Amino acid sequence: MLNESTAERLIAHALAQGADFAEVYAERTKSRNLRLLDLEVQEATSGIERGAGIRLFFGTQVVYAYTNDLSEANLLEVTDTLARLKGGGGRVDARGAGGLDFRKTAPAGLHAPERPFEAHDKRWRIERLAEADHAARVGPEIKKVQIHLLERDQEILVANSEGVWNTDRRVRTRYMVTAIAENERGLQTGFAGPGLSVGLELFDLEPPAEHGRAAGEQARTLLGAKPAPAGPMPVVIGNAFGGVIFHEALGHLLETTSVARKTSVLTDKLGEKIASDAVTYVDDGTLPHAWGSSEYDDEGAPTERTVLIEKGVLKSYMVDRWGSLMTGYRPTGSGRRQDYTYAPTSRMRNTFIEAGDASIESLFEGIEFGLYAKKMGGGQVKPGSGEYNFAVQEGYVIRHGRVEEPVKGAMLVGKGPESIQRIVAVAADRKNAPGMCGSLSGSIPVEVGQPHLLISEIVVGGEG
Amino acid sequence: MTLQEAQTYLLRRARERGVELEALATGSRELTLRARGGDLEEITEAESAGIGVRVVTGGKTGYAYTEELTPEALDWMLAEAVENAELQADTDGFLPQGRSLGRHDLLGEGLSAPVDEKKQVALALEREVQKDPRVRQVGAATYAEREHQTELASTRGAAGGFRSGYAYQMVNAVMGEGASVKQGYELKVSREVAALDPASTAQDFLYKTGRLLGARPLASGRYTAYLEPKAFLALLAPFVSMWSAKQVIEGKSRLADKLGQQVASAVFTLYDDPDHPEGLANAPFDAEGTPTRRVYLLREGVVESFLHNSQTARKLGHEPTGHASRSYKGVLGVAPHNLIVAPGAGVRLEEGVLVTDLMGVHAGANPISGDFSLQALGLKVEGGEAAYPVENFTISGNVFELLERIVAVGQDLEWSVIFLVGASPMVEVADLAFAGA
Repeated sequence: MLNESTAERLIAHALAQGADFAEVYAERTKSRNLRLLDLEVQEATSGIERGAGIRLFFGTQVVYAYTNDLSEANLLEVTDTLARLKGGGGRVDARGAGGLDFRKTAPAGLHAPERPFEAHDKRWRIERLAEADHAARVGPEIKKVQIHLLERDQEILVANSEGVWNTDRRVRTRYMVTAIAENERGLQTGFAGPGLSVGLELFDLEPPAEHGRAAGEQARTLLGAKPAPAGPMPVVIGNAFGGVIFHEALGHLLETTSVARKTSVLTDKLGEKIASDAVTYVDDGTLPHAWGSSEYDDEGAPTERTVLIEKGVLKSYMVDRWGSLMTGYRPTGSGRRQDYTYAPTSRMRNTFIEAGDASIESLFEGIEFGLYAKKMGGGQVKPGSGEYNFAVQEGYVIRHGRVEEPVKGAMLVGKGPESIQRIVAVAADRKNAPGMCGSLSGSIPVEVGQPHLLISEIVVGGEG
Repeated sequence: MTLQEAQTYLLRRARERGVELEALATGSRELTLRARGGDLEEITEAESAGIGVRVVTGGKTGYAYTEELTPEALDWMLAEAVENAELQADTDGFLPQGRSLGRHDLLGEGLSAPVDEKKQVALALEREVQKDPRVRQVGAATYAEREHQTELASTRGAAGGFRSGYAYQMVNAVMGEGASVKQGYELKVSREVAALDPASTAQDFLYKTGRLLGARPLASGRYTAYLEPKAFLALLAPFVSMWSAKQVIEGKSRLADKLGQQVASAVFTLYDDPDHPEGLANAPFDAEGTPTRRVYLLREGVVESFLHNSQTARKLGHEPTGHASRSYKGVLGVAPHNLIVAPGAGVRLEEGVLVTDLMGVHAGANPISGDFSLQALGLKVEGGEAAYPVENFTISGNVFELLERIVAVGQDLEWSVIFLVGASPMVEVADLAFAGA
């Protein structure tokens, strides 16, 4: 993508303009998308994204540019433009004169695919997806099944003025099944969407029939669902994608992107007890083949396992280079970006609540009236006030300790710091699930996860 | 290779292979300036470009794109697009007959102010907001501009392009009073840098976020909802796809059999205007070269039209409406340009809840079932005025019931670009379910 001498000259040129730090990020990504409706290909597209981003620091000031033209002449010109925009320029730094000694590292292949995309043709993919389509048709109510298949093969290079020279390759595959059910009561949808940092072995690791059936059954269940109850009540949240509530209510509040600007309500709280004893919260970018894993982050730092909260006590934030500069906290390999069109910011990777020791049954016992939020949709947070929301995709009423009829249209709302204090019991069945997270540096793959857990009180928004 | 050279190369190669091809190319420029502590904290400057093709062979359609403009990458793209087409079962695909579309400049001199003037917008915005002692932290005070050159060419004779763009200023900050803390934002967009006024945007931010401080819980119940323009557009956004003829054909729209029928209150009219004097997404032609025009989605509550591209129009036997949408990376879709809620006779506050903002729209609204349940921010309305702020509550229901229960529409249009590009006045909805304490 970029040869060493070009990177070196570029970085030297930036330092000569007075930058304290210079970084070049180059990327080439091949992607393929397929959309099937009732197994007929509706849309198929393939693409190459290729570009570079140059980031300079002048103190804590960040100056960023990106371009698709990777010629040395253009990259040098872009650097000049940046220095001019910064308003400085002209100051010659002695460091700019000499060459850089890049410490080259290559990925060890921790998340390398077993079956690369070239291993099978597109017909093979459609045959495997057909298993999901067939399985989704759990009854005559299922009228349509839509399946998306996404494949991405991203190669990146990060080089900087501290001698970092990292390459990484991220291969990711995901398919998403939406089942549409219809009867005289209306239309409802069910969803399942497994994804991993693997190649086409995804179809063996996450069997299409299993996920197809889950989507079909969810759509059918929702057809019979009544409007959700409303008001504050105890809520049991299911495992896997249930973790999205703490991704919103807690995770985003621990990114230095808002902590460094003091726009997070959890700023300056290291060492403080912010959650109940039952909560240990981890962000782990090293989990083998997980959807949000990579060997290096998008600043060229190795990813790591970061314990954010241990038994309720805040242990670490998620720290990128700029966040570290602003706060003095140790970088945690959390600098991520969607692609070269974004400068990196601190972001989550695979973030989950660790397993506890409560039995699942015990979570429901003693609830006179509450909600079982079995499957989650997405959510959103305002870090400055901690106000968050997230949608319940599949929910049930809990009465006298028993899970009863399904309900639709429930949304949970609250303030993150209050909700984490109210986690009173955590089960042992921790599981992760993939999703996409949108923030300042774009939309990136992350996993969320947790075991089944009980929150003593949360506001449920519903119509019933 | 330049984008135009790449287009010429692709048309030649497509003719050699005997496939019909449409090449959509976009060149973009971006400038973002973010202030913090009286100086710029972040500067982003960029130029990027890409080209995407739609090929039709034997009535089958396939797509591919590239940002690498070498002959090798262009050949790979063409081969992939043909292979993708061959997977399709549908043999009704076609490229519309094209014509010369001309060169249009919708931006003019709107963004041509010196950089220093643009820096001052961001710096002034931060300064003005900080004048209020209730502002605890400014997350971002930003000036940004985007400029796009769109070029369309096809083997069936389409050829033309247009230049568009806009500038915006945005402030995102945390305000506090005692223990009550609220984070809010204010965004103003214009096709003219000169029209951005940091002082008045700062005032709007302080008023809109400040009025929510000291919020109390809202008791669950059914209330009259007074939805401010941005909140109403946010609520409407996920459901606009019901008017997409593509969704209708695929059996994913509940409006499929409702053309000519009353589905909303008679005081409610919704139209798309690609040529609005203040339009932020104006376009002379759509993504496949069909000229655009004003189209009514709902006129006095009656479904008047779906939104079409050439494919959906032929399938349903309707006229194309100029709503083909595609980015160079994407596939052919259907989308509105500037969606406008027609101003009405006015709204008078009586009793209910003034909804100022909605959150969770991407997850809490289902465009297929029409169900929604969304976190809301707002003020309790008592005795004809906004009496006090309320928090920690949601609004829920089904969009069809909501459209039927619209009782009044305000007189003043306000623009939004957050969930869709459009403008709306305040909208009053009777008897909406609110869940709170």
